[in-house]
Order: sequence, then C-alpha cells, then structure tokens
Amino acid sequence: MNETTQQQVFEMVAKAAKTDVAAIKSETTLKDLGVASLEAIELIFDIEEHFDISFPDQQGANFDSDTAQSLVDAVQKALDAKAAAGEGSK
Amino acid sequence: MRTVTLRRVVITGMGAVSPLGADAEALWHGLREGHSGIRPLRHVDAARLRVKIAAQVPDDVDPTAGIDEHTLPLLDRTSAFALHAAREAITQSGIDFTQAGLGARTAVIVGTGVGGETTQDEQSRRLYGENAQRAHPLTIVRLMTNASASHISIAWGLRGPTYAIASACASANHAIIQAAQLIRHGLADVAITGGTEACLTYGALRAWEAMRVLADDACRPFSGNRHGLVLAEGAAIFVLESLEHAQARGAVILAELAGSGMTADATDIVSPSADGAAAAMTQAMADAELAPQDIDYINAHGTGTVANDVTETRAIHLAFGTHAARVAISSTKSMHGHALGASGALELVAVIGALRDGVVPPTVNLEQPDPACDLDYVPNVARQMPVRAALSNSFAFGGLNAVLALKRAP
Repeated sequence: MNETTQQQVFEMVAKAAKTDVAAIKSETTLKDLGVASLEAIELIFDIEEHFDISFPDQQGANFDSDTAQSLVDAVQKALDAKAAAGEGSK
Repeated sequence: MRTVTLRRVVITGMGAVSPLGADAEALWHGLREGHSGIRPLRHVDAARLRVKIAAQVPDDVDPTAGIDEHTLPLLDRTSAFALHAAREAITQSGIDFTQAGLGARTAVIVGTGVGGETTQDEQSRRLYGENAQRAHPLTIVRLMTNASASHISIAWGLRGPTYAIASACASANHAIIQAAQLIRHGLADVAITGGTEACLTYGALRAWEAMRVLADDACRPFSGNRHGLVLAEGAAIFVLESLEHAQARGAVILAELAGSGMTADATDIVSPSADGAAAAMTQAMADAELAPQDIDYINAHGTGTVANDVTETRAIHLAFGTHAARVAISSTKSMHGHALGASGALELVAVIGALRDGVVPPTVNLEQPDPACDLDYVPNVARQMPVRAALSNSFAFGGLNAVLALKRAP
C-alpha cells in the first residue's frame, strides 16, 4: 500500500518535472527538479485530485522545499484521515 | 501632432465604500486608528469553504442606497460600489457637470480586476448547477468589465473618454494614472477614476484557495510570521482635475497627483521582481520631479505574502538607496485587506489622508521582525509626522507595476 502510494506520487512528481521516475529519490525536493512555485501548486492540485484528498493549508506554505518523501507522507496522512472518517463524504 | 503643455493634475474629491465603512472618511478614520475590517467570512457557502476570513463591506452598509430603481436591476455589486463611491467624490468636489459643457470634457476611467464576478458566478450556478435553460437577460450588461465606468458616465452625463482598465491588483493605479494622463495632455479637464471590486464569490474564493496564498487568521504584512493575503472588496473613486480648472472654480484641493511610474517585470506570471517594482518607483519620482529624500511615506503594496513583502523591501532599497531606512512605509492592507482591482484606490484614500492630516497609518499585526524586511513599516500605531510627498505602490500578478507619486495640495 505504502509502496503503491509512493510509486504513484513519484510518478506524478516525475511528470511535473518532465523527467524519468528513476530520477526521483525520497530526499529530492521540487526545487531540485526545477518545479517552480506555480508548477508546485499545480502538482499539489493534481495529487489531491488523483487521491481525492485535501491537504491542509500550510502555514507559510512553500512546496518548493518539500521533498518527494514528504509529499508521500502527506498523501498517506490524508488517506489515513479519510479512511478514519469512514469516507462519510462519498 | 500638435504639441501640448503638460498640465498639473490635482485631486478634488474622494469617495469610498470599504470593509471599514460607507465612505472615505470612515475608511481613513479606521486606518489611522489601526482598526481592521477583517472578519470571519460571511458567505452562504462559508461552511464548505477553506477560507475563513475576509474584509467585506459590512452588512449595515447598503451600496445601493440612493441609486434609482431603474438603474438598480442593471447593477452587479461591483458597479453599485463604484456608483456609491463616485457620488461621494463628486459631491465633495462640488463640481457641476452641467456647466459650460463640462460633461463633454470629463473622462471616466475605472479599474477592476474581474468586473461583474457576482453576476458571472450566479449565472454559472443557474446554468451548470441547476440546469436552468436560460440566463438572466441582464447578465451581459451586469458583468461587462466596463459597466462601472459606463454607469458613472450615464449617471452624471460624462461624455469624455470612458473605459475600464484591468491589470489584476494594479488595476486601480493603472486607471488613476490613465485618467491623470488624459488631463495632463489636455484630452480632458476632469476625470472620475479609481477602482472597484466585488469578487468574493464561491467560485473566486475556491480559485484563491487553490493558489494557497490566503492567510487563515490575519493579514501580517512585513511580519516574520506572515503567511498570506486576506481578500477584500470595495471601491474608491476620485475626482481629478487640471490645477487651473480646480483653481478657476475655487475647488478645495486634497492633493496633487504629481507623477507616476509603470513597468512590467517580464519574468514570471506570479513571482514578483524587485527590479521591475524599483524601476516603477524610480520613474514615478522622476516624473514628479521628486528625489528619494523628498518622499516621507510609501503606502506599500504589502500583501502579507512571503514573496511580496521581501521583494518589495528589496525594491525600496534599490529605488531609495540610503534614504530607504528613513522613509515611513506602511501596508494598509493589514486593515482593509486586499481588494485586488480596487486596492490601489482604497490605498490612495490613505495616502491623501496622510498628506492632508500629517498622520501615517500603521501596518497592524506586525508582530515579529523578519531579517529580510528591514525597513520602517510604522508598526501597529499611526505616526504623526509631516508628509510632504508620498508614493503608493501596486504590483499585480502578471508582473505589472504601477506607482503613484503624490504631493501635498499646492
């Protein structure tokens, strides 16, 4: 499950960075990949749509410095929260 | 082409409707007292929105008061705001447009970011949400971006150049500059100008949420703990005249619009550039024949986003050099929020107040220093000081910069 989530997120990051998924490591940041501010926000949107989740607003959000793994963790956290809520909204 | 002598441009009337009240005096009084118009969001869909706060025109202010019943059905909220503010400005100026064909020599230039957003949102909801078969027949006349300018023209019989200017958050300043240029170059004797915005609709709020630039509790320009802007609505409208015209009719002059600067960053669609903003400030000072040490106050763009406030600070350093540390700077958006296409107009009310009363309004919520914001932002409390001349900055998404330079009334 975690493997799958990570794989999916890495693929989406790779697509946004127009690079091969093999280039995405856990510690790679969006900035490393040249994914600039607006593209980073677009990637966040794509991830939210893909997993049908909403990331909470970050205080002073700066996705540029987020690592690929931190995105995976955030997705997993949101998926867990959704599961715990019993998917009541569906 | 004929050559013309450039004419001086003065402001003889101002009106506003804003989160701080029904008129320009309420706005200025609120700002100098450090009052904030930012409140929990009042919206029919508030419960399902992530955005929790906004600076809205209070419910007890009726922008349609005094508008005749034949005109009312034609108005989007944004045009009602503009008419409301225009009436106050024109009344204050004491100008009579029926005299000596003045209507034909008067321009109307109004800035707005998106125009009739409330109408657009309502009709989209009907068509897509409720599967309505037809849109309201007045949809087009309500939502067109020029509606505010046209309604002002019609209401007072103003037959000179009349149009809207849209440049996102710089719309009002661009409009005011355009109006001043028409007078300066002899294409009009009087101009009604400013900005209006009413775009706190479900669709627009969702769009802003998605950009992740909205603060969730307060607007804190230049503060280390800032994390975004707070959306607002409102309008401010001004009467501009050539100096000779104002003096000939014995008008009370509020301030002189002495110069302006306009540039584009030509870099990124959202990330601001210090060079572009600095160039606009430098141009505005040169155009007004002012040196950095003549400027006592800068009303900053100061949105409260991480990026703007650092970049604007760098731009002020670039434009002002060693004088940067001595000029008083404040972001009144900390109190009236960011009314987008109207923001430069609301801020001009603050600048006129500062010049007239010798009081610089504060930047409220300035709670923590930020090493990258190292100038004098007049934190939290207004400052009594002589203000001889001032700049008012507006910078827009799209990399567009428009700066006004003002002097005390001659």
